[in-house]
Amino acid sequence: MSEFLIALTEYTFLQNAVIACLLASIGCGVIGSYVVVKKISFLTGGIAHSVLAGMGMAYFYNASPIMGAMIAALVSSILIGWINLRWKEHEDILIAAFWSAGMAIGIIFLSRTPGYNVDLMSYLFGNILLITGNDLLLMLLLDILVLTVVLICYKLFLLSIFDEEFARLHGINTEFFYILLLCLISITIVILIQLVGLILVIALLTLPAAIANQYVTSLYKMFILSSIICGVISISGVAISYAPDLPTGSVIVLLACASYFISVFLKQFSSQKASG
Amino acid sequence: MTKVVIDINNVSFNYGTVPVLENVSLKIYEDEFIGIIGPNASGKSTLLKLVLGLLEPDRGTIKKYNNECKHKRHHIGYVPQHITFARDFPITVEEVVMMGHITPASKFFKFNKDEVASAKQAMQALEIEDIANRQIGALSGGQLQRVLIARALVCQPNILILDEPTSNVDMRVEEDIFSLLKNYSEHMTIIVVSHDIAFISGYVDRVACLNRTLVCHDTKSISGKIIEELYDAPVKMIHHHH
Repeated sequence: MSEFLIALTEYTFLQNAVIACLLASIGCGVIGSYVVVKKISFLTGGIAHSVLAGMGMAYFYNASPIMGAMIAALVSSILIGWINLRWKEHEDILIAAFWSAGMAIGIIFLSRTPGYNVDLMSYLFGNILLITGNDLLLMLLLDILVLTVVLICYKLFLLSIFDEEFARLHGINTEFFYILLLCLISITIVILIQLVGLILVIALLTLPAAIANQYVTSLYKMFILSSIICGVISISGVAISYAPDLPTGSVIVLLACASYFISVFLKQFSSQKASG
Repeated sequence: MTKVVIDINNVSFNYGTVPVLENVSLKIYEDEFIGIIGPNASGKSTLLKLVLGLLEPDRGTIKKYNNECKHKRHHIGYVPQHITFARDFPITVEEVVMMGHITPASKFFKFNKDEVASAKQAMQALEIEDIANRQIGALSGGQLQRVLIARALVCQPNILILDEPTSNVDMRVEEDIFSLLKNYSEHMTIIVVSHDIAFISGYVDRVACLNRTLVCHDTKSISGKIIEELYDAPVKMIHHHH
């Protein structure tokens, strides 16, 4: 650990990594809370994986992969949301189709792109140590965008997620807020891809919020607590993986899983003790 | 008791090819406390959803305050039969009650003083002030029902609609809730759906018996024969399905 702390004062790439963790935690904590309370983690996984289609195309046409990812995430979230609203009974099949079609399209485009791109691995599994100042700026802007929308629409999101029928009764366009939420999720996925990669994004969008959900009584408290948990987990992941040179994204995800299981266990244990 | 607040005129509704309501006509008057009773699947909840504007009738019209549907939704408070939300949702009693104030124009997360005050009032009336900060998962069925009634009352509706408000609570709570509604009915139109005719007839001004069509709508004349008519036939119909 001390080795990490010394390195942190010396190397910009490590400082960038820690800042990236903090920036990602904001989006992750807020949007992850929505994913958990609305119980749409599978859908979120579908959007995350379909992002590969956009990245593959971006590589093929020599464009910016992160822009490709952003466009693909937005397109697939609007499509999934729109079809889902009209075809509710097949939601899981629909997600599975988008999930696999997105990856398949991505792989076809990549196979047609000359040469093998190392960068691609970092989008699949994340490479937080390669994050540049420009990446951080993009993350910051996306965070501001997500937070602004969430703050302005806090009440309307809360009502339409908590009780759709009651929301419709109050004249709220719940379909619009559903699609808007999916768009915010896709923006957050793009923020998180730099950290842990698109394959592992789903862990950060569910586990910290699920841990927080066990200890809070209000949604805004869940935002704050899960952001803190996400920050602690991701920075610890960077620190732990540094000395033995392990893949950072994977370490972060394993830490998140371990924290979740420990917190569930502790909660069970303490409630049993209380009732027994 | 002269002004008609809800005028249901010859309304029919189908779910796909299944007829749920046929030629239902019913006038509901200002400050009336009306019970709608009927067996399971008799279309009671559907009729409420049509009145609320959550569904559109296939035929016929529903006028509220002599206007066409949709417009005056906020004049109606609604207490649903089934809890459509997750009990583990991170939200407190007070926050649920506050939801009654949310409109499409609501922004950010603060509520103004008037809104906070009227929510306090509603919580006081339903005796749920002391659990205001509790998470909804920690409530009993009766407490949750009170929370939902408070949420419906908080926007000071002219019409309060309740769908089986006491299906998940015991007798004592049921009596509490109905005597509370009885008080409110002095200055509010209340429509309550129930399958328990014996119980609600002690509280309501009038009962409408629904079984796909409206069988009757006058409390005084409900006889054993009508109840038999209302409940016996569908029981036999259900046997056919087995």
